[in-house]
Amino acid sequence: MTVREWFSNKIRNDVRTVVQKPAEWREDVAYTVDGMRRGTIDPLDVAKTVLATLATIVFVFVLLIPVYWIFIIALQGEGATLYSTDSAGLIPSQFDPAAFVWVIGDIAIPGAIVGITIPFTDIEFYISWPRIVFLDASNYVDSTSDFPRYFRNSMFISFWTVVFAMLMIVPAAYAFSRREFAGRMKLLYGYILFTQVGAGLGIASVIALYTIFSSMGVTNNRLVLAFYYAAMAVPFNTWLLKTYMDSIPTSLEEAAIMDGASPFRVAWEVVLPLAKPGIATIFIFIFLVGWMEFIIAQLILSPEHYTLPVGLFSLIDEHNVPWGQFSAFALVYASPVVFIYMFAQRYIEDGFSFGGTKG
Amino acid sequence: MSLSSVGDRTRERYQATVPEHVRDRLEEHRPLLLVLPGLIAFSLFMFFPLAYTIYLSFTDAEPATVFQDGPGGLTGFFGLRGEESFVGLENYIAVFSDPTFWNSLGVTWLFVICSVALKVLFGVGIAMIMTSDRVKGRRYMRSIIIIPWALPPIFTITIWSGIFSSAQFGLANQAVIFLGFSEQAWLNDRWMAFASYLLTEMWLAYPFMVIITVSALQAVSDELMDAAKVDGAGYFHRFWHVTVPSIKRPVMFAAILTAAASFTQFLIPYVFNRGGPNRANELIVLHGYQEAFNFNAYGAGAAIMMSAVAFIGAFMIVAVWKGRLAEGVDGP
Repeated sequence: MTVREWFSNKIRNDVRTVVQKPAEWREDVAYTVDGMRRGTIDPLDVAKTVLATLATIVFVFVLLIPVYWIFIIALQGEGATLYSTDSAGLIPSQFDPAAFVWVIGDIAIPGAIVGITIPFTDIEFYISWPRIVFLDASNYVDSTSDFPRYFRNSMFISFWTVVFAMLMIVPAAYAFSRREFAGRMKLLYGYILFTQVGAGLGIASVIALYTIFSSMGVTNNRLVLAFYYAAMAVPFNTWLLKTYMDSIPTSLEEAAIMDGASPFRVAWEVVLPLAKPGIATIFIFIFLVGWMEFIIAQLILSPEHYTLPVGLFSLIDEHNVPWGQFSAFALVYASPVVFIYMFAQRYIEDGFSFGGTKG
Repeated sequence: MSLSSVGDRTRERYQATVPEHVRDRLEEHRPLLLVLPGLIAFSLFMFFPLAYTIYLSFTDAEPATVFQDGPGGLTGFFGLRGEESFVGLENYIAVFSDPTFWNSLGVTWLFVICSVALKVLFGVGIAMIMTSDRVKGRRYMRSIIIIPWALPPIFTITIWSGIFSSAQFGLANQAVIFLGFSEQAWLNDRWMAFASYLLTEMWLAYPFMVIITVSALQAVSDELMDAAKVDGAGYFHRFWHVTVPSIKRPVMFAAILTAAASFTQFLIPYVFNRGGPNRANELIVLHGYQEAFNFNAYGAGAAIMMSAVAFIGAFMIVAVWKGRLAEGVDGP
């Protein structure tokens, strides 16, 4: 099963559940109403349940008001201002997507000229196409944000973080899961400890880190930053992938060994394909490290290499906060994370059963 | 020439050049070789900066000296060292005799104690609601309610700083005006600002507590619960004598971890008002950061950071010893 099939299966299941749920609920309600009519279900009991559920829904809404509020402000357009309350209330007074247009900018396929030479002949021809514009931002807003540039920087850093981290983590997780070596359990316990205290120690050593990076002249180097993120992602993700690999039965590997496969081939052709879902999970986690980290990034990057979190913060660093623009920027920045998270949530909850050190 | 014969020839050459006992050692420790790259990279960025922080804390490092070209060679850490010179314990003496350091440390501990208490109460409360049989659709609500955990910290913290904006626009001020009071300058008053830090920290961290507590609550024995019900125990009696004992261990575990996170909280005071007003609310990590990057005293900043690490280390050791954290790792 390829990763894509695995993901599409999950998504299909989720969609099916969402579609079928209302019907189920209707049946539940019909059953309850029927029961009350016949006197088998106590109406007082039903009333308590309904009240408790409604109260909980209100409670959940109140808890998430900050997110809802920022959403409302973003929908008020660019000019949501600091000194009027009517544009920042909980009930929207108008809808205006201008702030989102400001964030995204033009949506277009850049024009280009491509020259094609057919080898060993003199035939040369050029294909050119004009810039195809789907949305021209200047029709709606005066200026556009630096979001596309920050986005490219973030993608660049996250990409290399994933590459570096995978090269270090996948072999290590395999060794932890399938091989015996001196100090294995001690290292594993150390890794688990550092998943918790690592972030704190990382902040505490921020002065030294900055000094070292500056002395070596690698501030503002996006690859070095990516390598730093990859290194910091090692403990948690090695442990996570090791836990996943532990759940893969060893019988297939034994069969491959019986057939004379070398240890390398067993790892490459049997264990790795089976571990794909686990690898996909740590891929997400590692990608998000670079996507979300702020403190180190704002310390060592210059404006032309700002990532999205630093760019977001630079919006409010001025005295006058453009709340409408800030909210739209923040939402566009954070929404992919939320979608990924909602999807991956049950696997994360599984990972928190603290059972991963056995074996 | 086939590919495998190339492999064979490489192997022959390898066997010819590398002595047999070295080869045996390599064979024996090969799995370790797979682990080493990650371990070395992690150690490089975790322990080396930490060691360098210790070194800096004994020097008079500041931007004017530390970025100069140093002596080079082995004693100059191969060019890493600048022109800073050793000052012994001077930084530590200066830091420990500075009232702002003790203020910062006091505020940090107060922050840790209050926020952990709030997080535990709030997290367990939500978890109780979210596992109650009375609430329908609680599984879906659970997945919605832990959204704050998924959001990037810089995103949520800047939103909260907008909520506590001193303008009328801020959500906190709108609520206050709605209740009939006049608007407040939340972040200009010391304790108001502190309270807003606490509220934000609680909001950021409750999902973690909820997840841990929910999985602990689901492990509470139903038989024990039913037995207590048959014996006529009321709701609070059951909660105190059946639920609490069985969720105590995992919740303790989560509380210790989240206490460590609160102790090194940096972003909330930094984004809200740089630990203001007048440096009154600088949590310890921010205090060290400000000393280094705002007042250019890298040595003193490093000394503050090392003191913070010492305190958090002592706290963790006591917590592990008292709360038997290691057992928590093996499963509740």
